[in-house]
Amino acid sequence: MTTTTTPSRPPTVAPGRAVGRRRTRGAPGSAARRRAAVAGYAFALPGFAVYALIMLYPAVQALLISLRDYAITPGAPSPWVGLENYARALEDPVLLRSFVNAGFYMVATVPAQVVIGLLLAVLLDAKLPGRTLFRVLFYLPVVTSWVVVSLLFQYLFATDRGVVNWLLVDVTGLFDGDVAWLGERWPALVAISVLGIWKGVGWSMIIFLAALTGVPRELHEAAALDGAGAMRRFRYVSLPFIRGTLSTVLILLVIGSFNVFISVLLMTGGGPLDQTQVPLTYMYRQAFTFLDFGYGSAISFLLTLVVLALAALQYGITRRKASEVDG
Amino acid sequence: MRSSRAAWGAGVAVLALGLSACGGEADGSGSGGEPIAEAGAGELSGTVTFWHAYSADSPEVRTLEDSIIPAFEEEHPDVTVESVPVPYDDLHQKLVTAVAGDALPDLVRSDIIWVPELADLGVLVPLDEEMPDFQEYADQMYEGPLETNLWQGSYYGLPLDTNTRVLMYNQEALDAAGVDGPPETFADMREMASAFADDGRYLFADNGTSGWNVLPWIWSAGGDITDADVTTATGHLDSPESVAGVELLVDLYEQGAIPDLMLGAEGGTQTSDGLPAGEYATILDGPWMFPIFESQYPDFDLMTAPVPAGDGGSVSVVGGESIVLTQASENKAAAAEFLRFLLSEDVQLELAAVGQMPVLSSLAEQLPEVQPYYAPFVEQVENARPRPPTPAWPRVEEVLSREVQLALRGEKTAEQALGDAATEIDGLLAQYAG
Repeated sequence: MTTTTTPSRPPTVAPGRAVGRRRTRGAPGSAARRRAAVAGYAFALPGFAVYALIMLYPAVQALLISLRDYAITPGAPSPWVGLENYARALEDPVLLRSFVNAGFYMVATVPAQVVIGLLLAVLLDAKLPGRTLFRVLFYLPVVTSWVVVSLLFQYLFATDRGVVNWLLVDVTGLFDGDVAWLGERWPALVAISVLGIWKGVGWSMIIFLAALTGVPRELHEAAALDGAGAMRRFRYVSLPFIRGTLSTVLILLVIGSFNVFISVLLMTGGGPLDQTQVPLTYMYRQAFTFLDFGYGSAISFLLTLVVLALAALQYGITRRKASEVDG
Repeated sequence: MRSSRAAWGAGVAVLALGLSACGGEADGSGSGGEPIAEAGAGELSGTVTFWHAYSADSPEVRTLEDSIIPAFEEEHPDVTVESVPVPYDDLHQKLVTAVAGDALPDLVRSDIIWVPELADLGVLVPLDEEMPDFQEYADQMYEGPLETNLWQGSYYGLPLDTNTRVLMYNQEALDAAGVDGPPETFADMREMASAFADDGRYLFADNGTSGWNVLPWIWSAGGDITDADVTTATGHLDSPESVAGVELLVDLYEQGAIPDLMLGAEGGTQTSDGLPAGEYATILDGPWMFPIFESQYPDFDLMTAPVPAGDGGSVSVVGGESIVLTQASENKAAAAEFLRFLLSEDVQLELAAVGQMPVLSSLAEQLPEVQPYYAPFVEQVENARPRPPTPAWPRVEEVLSREVQLALRGEKTAEQALGDAATEIDGLLAQYAG
């Protein structure tokens, strides 16, 4: 679904216009263009075949399951129920809450990951002693298993004798009594979001770093000669260069935040009383605990629709902004 | 990568949902060919795959793999038993996936609460119909555990081990609160509660409100969850007796004699740590806790007593595992022979030595000699009931758990909560009626 590691489009100055000119010039040689197109499809085919096999086919099957009262035993009848599973989903208060929770997670984690990631990238782009060490340290959580860090955070946020409560109550005295971090909806979502931010900043940092290394040094030097300070150089030299990267990172992070799963499953299990369910934990519960694969599939399709809509919206906004700047 | 890892969950789930559709047209019944032979009859050969959740942390897995299986293979040199340990928390999902993928093993040691569900899916062999000497084994079993294998008139498994919960207490914690001994009745609980109000120690602790947690209180109060045929909850779960059982918990919680842990949230001190630490004076738990306390809190003097009695007496909940034979097994004769072997007195005693309480009633008197700590459990299991056998159990339990939590949180009275639960459970049970 979202496997991009680095932005595929190198940021160039006003790419739209350059490409447009080249296209008009190449128009007469349509045979050459067709050959290029065939070659392009040929190169894309293996990747598409793998995608079709492991993503598209199961997705279509899941869509079919979502329209049935699905029996998991092979050979058992699974009657068609049309949109019944979807109708049930739209009236399910827990599912609605799970989307609100995922929305909270998105609002809490995406801006923080972008801002902190960008800040770290800018700092570690400068020539600091031991910057490779810092890059590795900040990236380490990204490659650590979700299961391990989720269990770790569960201990940190334990109500009795947890490190976080110890810091807040016993050391700093900011709170009067222990907070039941994982026992109430919003504190639990805060704890889960803290984990998401901590684990995610390394990823956005590394992508911003890659983009920042593409900013020509001469531009920075020229701006410095003109008397621009660090802030202004970042604002007027670096930022325009990494704008494409920024929007890619934003889109991927938003998609990722709605797909939050392992940390919630392990830290709260969606409980207590389904207060901390997110769409995927709720879908997992319906399918694997209650064997209601029809309903589970319907939930995953609704999630896909929401994520698609959000991504399209973001894409539209960034496209419009880009054309405003270019035009 | 961060996002791709987050998307992993969706990908895997979609994949699993998709794969579940391509199991083919395997006929759901009797694919294994020959009928199950009499015990010891004929030459047996082949491989028997056995999924179980024996604990690798305690000596259970070692006993199975280093002693029991080699002994069986010595008796049947052409048979290989392949032991597949699965962590308990993963076993249900693994079974579900295997059902969908038509990839079940020959034998499964299933939690007793999953047997009706698996039977309803049509993947288990009805042993009373296909195993010639079924009755001979059934007659040796405790009745409570045996009945958990009954689904729509057939027995789909035989009990393999049983257990129940008794009251475990920390005498030092009781002393510190100025209480002489453990609570014997509901009235004792109410009386002692004030001694524990708001001082960081609790009279009783439990880690949730599932059937395993709250049914002992409902039953001991004289209440019930459904009728005997498991067709309706109204008139049982919402009876004044059932309400009294839950009200005891609600009142103790409100007085601060039960910790938040009972709300089912993560993050509190677990009962296995709180009891030896003196934070919790009493808990309900099973015989497997003895080896655990012994290794983690060697100085702790664990004491036991029966479940506190209400108007219905002292009634606990039956746990344990059954052994089931799958329709998918291609070697039912050898699998059935290993099943018989696991239920032999020698093997049952061997497993008893590592904390697995035997299911053969004939062994009851020997048990305290094997492990002294079995004595209170042998006594309590006589007054213990199984959770109602129904494929709807996971959903029924979710409703029960949620409504009792709402009562504990004070969002509903116990009466309202159980009334709502009964109505909802009626609907769930109706789906499996007739």
